[in-house]
Amino acid sequence: MSHLSARGLRKSFGTLEVLRGVDIDIELGEALCIIGPSGSGKSTLLRCLNLLIRPDAGEIYLDSVKLTNPKIRPEWVRQQIGMVFQSFNLFTHLNTTKNVMLGLRHAKKVSRSKAREKAIFELNRVGLGDKLDAFPAQLSGGQQQRVAIARALAMDPKVILFDEPTSALDPESIHEVLAVMAQLAHEKMTMAVVTHEMGFAREVSDQVVFFDAGKILESGTPSDIFDHPKSERTRAFMDKILR
Amino acid sequence: MTEAPIGSSRDVPALPKKRRRFSGRRLLRALLDLKLWVPALAAAGIAVAAAFVFLLVGLAGFYGAAWLRNYEAFLVTAVIGLAAGLVVGWTRRYHPRAAARIFTWKAWGSVIVGSLATYWGIVFLIGLGRLHVYRLAFAESQVAPILSGFYTSLEVVAVIIPLGFGLGFLVGWARTTKSLILRGLAAYYVDFFRSMPPIALIFFASLIGALSLKGSGIDQFTVYHITLWLGVVALGFHTAAYQAEIIRAGILSVPAGQTEAADAVGISKIRSMFVVVLPQAFRISLPPLGNEFSSVIKDTSLLSVIGWFELSGVGFTLVSESYSVYLWGSVVIWIEVAMLYFVLTYLVTRTVRVIEDLFKVPGLEVARL
Repeated sequence: MSHLSARGLRKSFGTLEVLRGVDIDIELGEALCIIGPSGSGKSTLLRCLNLLIRPDAGEIYLDSVKLTNPKIRPEWVRQQIGMVFQSFNLFTHLNTTKNVMLGLRHAKKVSRSKAREKAIFELNRVGLGDKLDAFPAQLSGGQQQRVAIARALAMDPKVILFDEPTSALDPESIHEVLAVMAQLAHEKMTMAVVTHEMGFAREVSDQVVFFDAGKILESGTPSDIFDHPKSERTRAFMDKILR
Repeated sequence: MTEAPIGSSRDVPALPKKRRRFSGRRLLRALLDLKLWVPALAAAGIAVAAAFVFLLVGLAGFYGAAWLRNYEAFLVTAVIGLAAGLVVGWTRRYHPRAAARIFTWKAWGSVIVGSLATYWGIVFLIGLGRLHVYRLAFAESQVAPILSGFYTSLEVVAVIIPLGFGLGFLVGWARTTKSLILRGLAAYYVDFFRSMPPIALIFFASLIGALSLKGSGIDQFTVYHITLWLGVVALGFHTAAYQAEIIRAGILSVPAGQTEAADAVGISKIRSMFVVVLPQAFRISLPPLGNEFSSVIKDTSLLSVIGWFELSGVGFTLVSESYSVYLWGSVVIWIEVAMLYFVLTYLVTRTVRVIEDLFKVPGLEVARL
């Protein structure tokens, strides 16, 4: 069984059916990229995986633990599955170190000194060892997103979900954030990335999933999807963006 | 100075910093530390020198500044200076960044200028008194009762502000919860107490208290005091309604992404309320809260209608007695009352400003023009 897998996920908002039966498997140490047009439900899928949104139907398993079991606390699930947002969502009133420490202190109940040590380690890991006392408003977009990655890493998650981590960034910052993510993929961190960065999807990911209208249309290795797409819809999408 | 210049800690690659906590041993060590005594003694010296200058001025100009000739005045000034110096020195040494934020000339300059201006104002009035323009003897005779009113006002304010804030905080929070019952109750509370004139609330509360305690066997004196404090509670409920709206606005101003991020690292809803939402909401709420505090301080004057002898109550009584003594007496009395209201309000708003400074987030504030 795969590391993180979902079977038959369904979610509707009112009459709008966003997920229409999604099966997805993420192997241990794999980087999975989810691509597809806007509004196809990619972000909703990610938010269902760590139960930020509870799916209407379907099961999610992490190492054969059934996460959708109502007896399992969603707080516990989210400690196992990290998340990085499109708009960073750093805590504006805390400096970078405390941003990273917060989850450790208040979710994992780690002591202050241990949490600080861990936070400094993770911030150094994303290349922000010189910004330990800076506040989010004093950082560039790329630096903020790296702090957000450090915040997710600090929880020692089994999987990290990236929800369009570079969509709100300028080209230079995109590069520095993607470099950190590529480094993580190289270190065999299990991750699922919703992205419009096709270069990143092609070069870094082990598996690419093409998502459209609440369903997975096609999945396979990057070369399968980008060079030899099977379905007509995927081919049309690729033609539009790779031109 | 051995410590690094303020703000440089951001540029130096930081080592894990330990948070300094208060301990008796460190206080003792600090007291024996020369570096702490230097600013303390300097402050005390300046205070004594200032007192001496005031004394010379008083002797040369006006006989009225008699209190400056007291030895106690020197002693009190020196002790206050010493204590202030120690506090400043301690904070500057162990919490340099907090000290840099709090002990600025900009923040305390107005306090120093204000006290100097008050001193010179007194000297000026004494001079006017000697020219028989201002009846100093009359003004002086009113000071003691008005001061007692001031202490009563202080007592009432010290109850109303925590009561109003605590209650307002709970109601404001309740208005932002998911629970329909809590939200409904809180909304009803706010609608009711904001629509009632405070004077009516005060009357209602004390009258209902008096009537329901009638024949209960409690002695008259206690009943009287209970009705007085019921009036205070009514005013607290009134201001709580306003503060609830301020707190609600603060909570609503925190973007949803903040709680979503707290959810995503697995922090429980209630904890994320305390460590993520409220600190940010509080920062936004502080200026309007200061506004409401200063407003309710003046509203305490309404308590005089149920028999409180606070500043205004004392003022009314003194004025009614003053006409036979001195025609301008009411003017003098109300000036003194107004000055003390100013002092009371200024104390509170200044404190709120200091708290505001502590909640400041670097880089988040709008750039100053």
